[in-house]
Amino acid sequence: MITRHDFLKSSSGGMGSIALLQLLAKNRELVAAPNAQSHGGLHHRAKANRVIQLFMNGGASQMDLFDYKPLLQARHGQKFDPTTSERVEAATSVPGNILGSPFQFLRHGQSGRWVSELLPHMAKHVDDIAVMLSMTSRTNVHGPASYLMNTGFLLPGFPCFGAWVSYGLGSLNENLPTFVVLPDARGLPYNQRGNFSSGFLPVTHQGTAIHASHAEPLHGLRAPSSAKFITPQSERDGLELLNETNREQLVNGDHDARLEARIHAYELAAKMQLSAPEVFDLNQETKATLQDYGLNNPVTEDFGKRCLLARRMIERGVRVVQVWSGSNGPTGNWDNHSSIIKELPPMTQATDQPAAALLTDLKARGLLDDTLLLWNTEFGRMPFSQGSEGRDHNGGASIGWMAGAGVKPGVAIGETDEWSWKAVHDPISNYDFHATVLHLLGIDHEQLIYQHNGANRRLTDVHGHIVKALLR
Amino acid sequence: MRVKAVSECRYRKQSFRGVRSQYGAWERVIVHLIIIYSTAAVFADMPPAVKRSVDFVKEVQPILQVACLKCHGPLRQEGEYRLDVGPIALKGGAGYAPNIVPFDSASSPLIQFVAGQSEGMQMPAKGKRLSDEQIGILRAWIDQGATWPDSANEKLEERMEWWSLQPLQFSPPPTIEDCVHPIDSFVRKKLEEKGLHPAPPAEPRVLIRRLYYDLTGLPPTPIELDVFVANTDPAAYENLVDRLLASPRYGERWARHWMDTAHFAETHGHDQDRIREHAWPYRDYLIAAFNQDKPYSQFVRDQIAADVLAPSDPAAIAALGFLAAGPWDESTLRDIREDTLDREIGRYLDRDDMLTNVMNNFISLTVQCARCHDHKFDPIPQADYYALQAVFAGVERANRSYDTSVAVQQARKSLTQRRTQLENVNPSLRSELLGESMQQAVHDWELHQARRVNSWAVLTSQSASCLEGSTLEQQTDGSFLASGIRPDRDTYVIRGCSTLHAITGLRLEVLADSTLPQHGPGRQDNGNLHLSEIEIEIGSGNRLTIASATSDFDQKDWGVSRAIDGKETTAWGIFPQVGESHVAVFEFKDTVKLSAETMITVRLKQLHGGGHLIGRPRLSITSDKNPLDVLSLPGEIESILSLARETRTEEHRLTLALHYERQRVARELASLPKPSLVYAAAADFEPDGGLKPPPGPRPIHRLDRGDIRNPMEKSTAGTLTCLASLPSRFSLAEPMPESERRAALAQWIVHNNNPLTWRSIVNRVWLQHFGRGIVDTPNDFGRLGSKPTHPELLDWLSIRFRDSGQSLKALHRLIVTSETYRQMSSTSENHYFSVENVQQLPRTDLASNVDADNQFLWHMHRTRLDAECVHDAMLMISGQIDLRMGGPSDRQFDLKPGRHVTPIIDYGQFDLDGQSASRRSVYRFLFRTLPDPFMEALDCPAGDQIMPTRANSVTVQQVLAMWNDLLVIRQSEHLAKQLTAQATSTPSRVDLAFQLALGRVPRTTELDRFVAYTQKHGLANFCRLLYNMNEFIFID
Repeated sequence: MITRHDFLKSSSGGMGSIALLQLLAKNRELVAAPNAQSHGGLHHRAKANRVIQLFMNGGASQMDLFDYKPLLQARHGQKFDPTTSERVEAATSVPGNILGSPFQFLRHGQSGRWVSELLPHMAKHVDDIAVMLSMTSRTNVHGPASYLMNTGFLLPGFPCFGAWVSYGLGSLNENLPTFVVLPDARGLPYNQRGNFSSGFLPVTHQGTAIHASHAEPLHGLRAPSSAKFITPQSERDGLELLNETNREQLVNGDHDARLEARIHAYELAAKMQLSAPEVFDLNQETKATLQDYGLNNPVTEDFGKRCLLARRMIERGVRVVQVWSGSNGPTGNWDNHSSIIKELPPMTQATDQPAAALLTDLKARGLLDDTLLLWNTEFGRMPFSQGSEGRDHNGGASIGWMAGAGVKPGVAIGETDEWSWKAVHDPISNYDFHATVLHLLGIDHEQLIYQHNGANRRLTDVHGHIVKALLR
Repeated sequence: MRVKAVSECRYRKQSFRGVRSQYGAWERVIVHLIIIYSTAAVFADMPPAVKRSVDFVKEVQPILQVACLKCHGPLRQEGEYRLDVGPIALKGGAGYAPNIVPFDSASSPLIQFVAGQSEGMQMPAKGKRLSDEQIGILRAWIDQGATWPDSANEKLEERMEWWSLQPLQFSPPPTIEDCVHPIDSFVRKKLEEKGLHPAPPAEPRVLIRRLYYDLTGLPPTPIELDVFVANTDPAAYENLVDRLLASPRYGERWARHWMDTAHFAETHGHDQDRIREHAWPYRDYLIAAFNQDKPYSQFVRDQIAADVLAPSDPAAIAALGFLAAGPWDESTLRDIREDTLDREIGRYLDRDDMLTNVMNNFISLTVQCARCHDHKFDPIPQADYYALQAVFAGVERANRSYDTSVAVQQARKSLTQRRTQLENVNPSLRSELLGESMQQAVHDWELHQARRVNSWAVLTSQSASCLEGSTLEQQTDGSFLASGIRPDRDTYVIRGCSTLHAITGLRLEVLADSTLPQHGPGRQDNGNLHLSEIEIEIGSGNRLTIASATSDFDQKDWGVSRAIDGKETTAWGIFPQVGESHVAVFEFKDTVKLSAETMITVRLKQLHGGGHLIGRPRLSITSDKNPLDVLSLPGEIESILSLARETRTEEHRLTLALHYERQRVARELASLPKPSLVYAAAADFEPDGGLKPPPGPRPIHRLDRGDIRNPMEKSTAGTLTCLASLPSRFSLAEPMPESERRAALAQWIVHNNNPLTWRSIVNRVWLQHFGRGIVDTPNDFGRLGSKPTHPELLDWLSIRFRDSGQSLKALHRLIVTSETYRQMSSTSENHYFSVENVQQLPRTDLASNVDADNQFLWHMHRTRLDAECVHDAMLMISGQIDLRMGGPSDRQFDLKPGRHVTPIIDYGQFDLDGQSASRRSVYRFLFRTLPDPFMEALDCPAGDQIMPTRANSVTVQQVLAMWNDLLVIRQSEHLAKQLTAQATSTPSRVDLAFQLALGRVPRTTELDRFVAYTQKHGLANFCRLLYNMNEFIFID
């Protein structure tokens, strides 16, 4: 027999799980388990109920986007000598000379934020976002760094941020997954699905990858078209008969919640089959909206479409959506080793307008009041050159921004040294970042715990401080 | 195998409820108090001490626990201060020590902090402040002398008294009426104590289905079922158990359990998720070990140190795959610069994975928790952890070569020694080589072999040009190395001459080189190349016709014949065998005469795009009649052979003898059966770029707070100090060879006096049979884990297992023949109470209330079929299963080279009716960062984490997979075909399908409904329903 504990463990937090729990609660009392309170939080009142995270795969170059360093331009081509005792080393290359940003910076908005010419659209929204200029990573290698930024650990196998949120807060809807990932059309990021794994949490909390450009974006939603023997009628009659047969098995005095849960899961699956296609139907959007997101331009189309889908999903109760820019590989992402001049602009061109459009759209629709919009990357890049004009990985300094529910707009947090080599003031680790985001979601990062293989595990490991300066 | 359910849930309950009861309730109380006292508490004078005698344990400790221990307790010691250990609490306190001044609470910094009397220091730093009442209690306690009883201390010695660290203790099975089986006696005793009753025996049909899946992972056939049900022999069940344990299917089933916990997969994981071509021999080792019923201690020793401890069983080397089974960070450990901190951190983490794999799985202790600090709960100091790091300090993960036959192994050993000996000519070797018998052998060889040898001649006077901008630089060996910009496409034009008088064939070597990506031989990032067409001209404009082409390796669908098919859109490629040299030989239709001046022009067209260019080509020609058989001789040897024998000097004779002997050794080595390779822990292996064999065991330092920047004292290889009965450091002379370190650890683990090992394996086996262990946390026998529900039974089983041959099969037999195992899974209590009684019983007496989690086994656990069982059962029922065992894994996905190291795989593009689709799922290729979505939906782990118990979930994703995945759809069609062939009418087909999938015939009402459905929608649709029934997916 399965107890309610088992049942909670095996099915809570997934698609429609809250509803599923309520269904069972009629017959059984439920004990304390992560279960979002009426105010939306788990441990305290939540500011944000849902999250969209834009993730720049490869390590976006901070000093070419937001972290303006005129000294680099002044000393361009000179030997890099930060005059500290710390050794200058780079992960994949011999450190070259100082590489000043080849891009122009201007001040923008009321806040007078420096933004590079590569982000003309986001530059108009600096007063809506909080920029983190002092993010850090414990590693300079993509695999571990991407794991760290997504799961809080350098090694594979730990639950990612979205999975923790799904586990802690459960679902807001019955018809769609709780946590959706929209990978770049070019392919999966470094670590592939490892970045959106539920690790040792129940599999139901893992990110459901939706390939927006595929004919069948959500795998398994319907029978493959090659199966000619399946007709709408065989499907309907079949599910009905299955339901009837499975129910008969219950009439034997057995109290096994899993048997009932499985019956209900088919009902939810059927609902999802009906509602999921509607999410992807962009015909419901106005022409102006499509244009704002850049769907009329091949350069911005892929990222724009996925940003728009992200908005449509959170509108329909998906709790966490992660939108990736860039796939794994030497090119087509933010890992600009060979030329910051040639490789970075295509990435910003593809993402700047859609990201700005998403922010504007969320704001206009009032969604930003309880939605958190995050822009992240796994680490930053070096102030000195790799080869002639590329930049190597830099865990010492990195950027990100956030906007929306509970976030103080128009601020910049932290500072790097004059080179943007290391964060020196108010450094923000991945733990601090996650602690802060969880806090906004009504979760105390030190209390969101799961025991696995003999250890109490958290998204923030044993670290993490809430960055109060980011909060409204 | 169910179960995770129970255990995880408990965790969940524990973590959340624990947190709530700890903070929630207290918070409420405190909030309440604060509402009353708040203004006073913040600004007023220090609250007075309560006027009564205060008990530390009852009143003070609870306040400290709630308010302070989060930062000053076992998990953290902010300011190096903790309030759970008396001596530290009373004497410590960083800059303010002592924080507690007995008899003087007003001067005690602790009180000043909690009362907000100290500038800038308000405690607790986080959360609610203490109430005046609470401060008053603390003050009173201090004023009364701050007595801290020893018994209230968290002490190391007490931690050693933990149950799992005690020696195994024998208790005879209790005497219980009607109970003959020892397991039942122990279980029944507990049930009696709890006022519970065992469930009645399961029906034979239910039991046999349970047993088949449990022992073999496959369902019984209708005939096997009928035979068993009809058999009245009392020994029928035992005989069946023996038969199933003897079946090779048993090893396949139980190896997979071990693969979960070893976190085995066949790619590295991380951002460079490269395929491990040679991981599978470890899987085959496991299957064979289970099938042969290898004694458990040998099974353990093999996996940690087979190289030392199993000298007579060279095949056991494959067992070392265990140490390398987990993920590996290729970027950090191979590709980034050797001198970075990241590399060093990566090495510590990599060893952490190895030692965790060993200690979690063999002794069920969570030693990895002592990496940054002493273990918070168990008596494992940081020093022990780093002693274990030192055990693995001399190995990396790599392809390890080994021979499966003892004779071959010895032959290879002596030939390899000879080869090494021939590298340096010392006086004794010199005299041997110049000695009579050797010179005679050289002479014979010269007569019979050497003269017949023709050779490949590398082109001379070469020059090269490239049409699209690659740079080719000539090397001393006659090859050209490409560098500089890498155009998408290019054509190399290489010109040269030869001293040969004719040309019959051309050889193109594409050489590996350390300057190329992945060491080449191509320039593409993944090391690949694509040769679209090769063209050869003699003189001016005499283009030779190529008759045939062969190569040592062809990429799938990119064979070498595509380089001579006249189509520029097709090409020869070598992926995934990158990092090594390859060769292609082109044979001409006609023999063409050459003169010394004849210019030979070779065009290597590489037009596929994406930088698929040859990194280091070398061209040679031959005039032999059969170019494919031509051997080659070095130029120096050829010139010596061309001298008359009597004119040769001693040095000439020596060179010739050395060449002859080296060739002989090389030939004999080559004639040995190819060594097998297994991806395993290895100290000596072929270097792979930045991954080189370590020069010896690396020095290991204890890292303060686990930080690489804080190395402390050097660690000596050793193991845990928490077992009083066994020494924790190895008595090995310094410098300890790395393999001896592993061997010593293995011997410590399998020592008779190591109680953890025996309890661990017995519990693990129990867990798989019942869906729940006697200890519910199979990999954690420490304080954070569960305690055994049946400690006497656990020890009784452990002793019996240890002392009677350590046979897993005997243990299985013992367990599954118990009545406990054979009872019904139903939780209905109508079996032993009448319906009226059930209704009259107080609810608290119902078993479902007394023991809702079924810890005490008052019924059998119902399990959901695991991913492998679902997959294999469908293949079996549909008649598709292919029972071939072993060998390379079936890649049930389409594989294409990726943009970087990680290949692109697509499960959707896999041919479900193809060759590699129908073997048992234990032979599936396991791709770490992209696991099979169908299997994943059914909780099959990805191999990232050690997974001693699988989840047993029921989710929407899972039912979608069962309902719509192409695998289920195809198997439904196969089953329909099978049913059509084997039965004639729709009712008889439905009837047969029920027997195949559910082990029973349909009831009349069911038959009617399903027949009606089948007649309307066809058999395949009916089969799809069948596979989706709860009754199919659950095992009663």
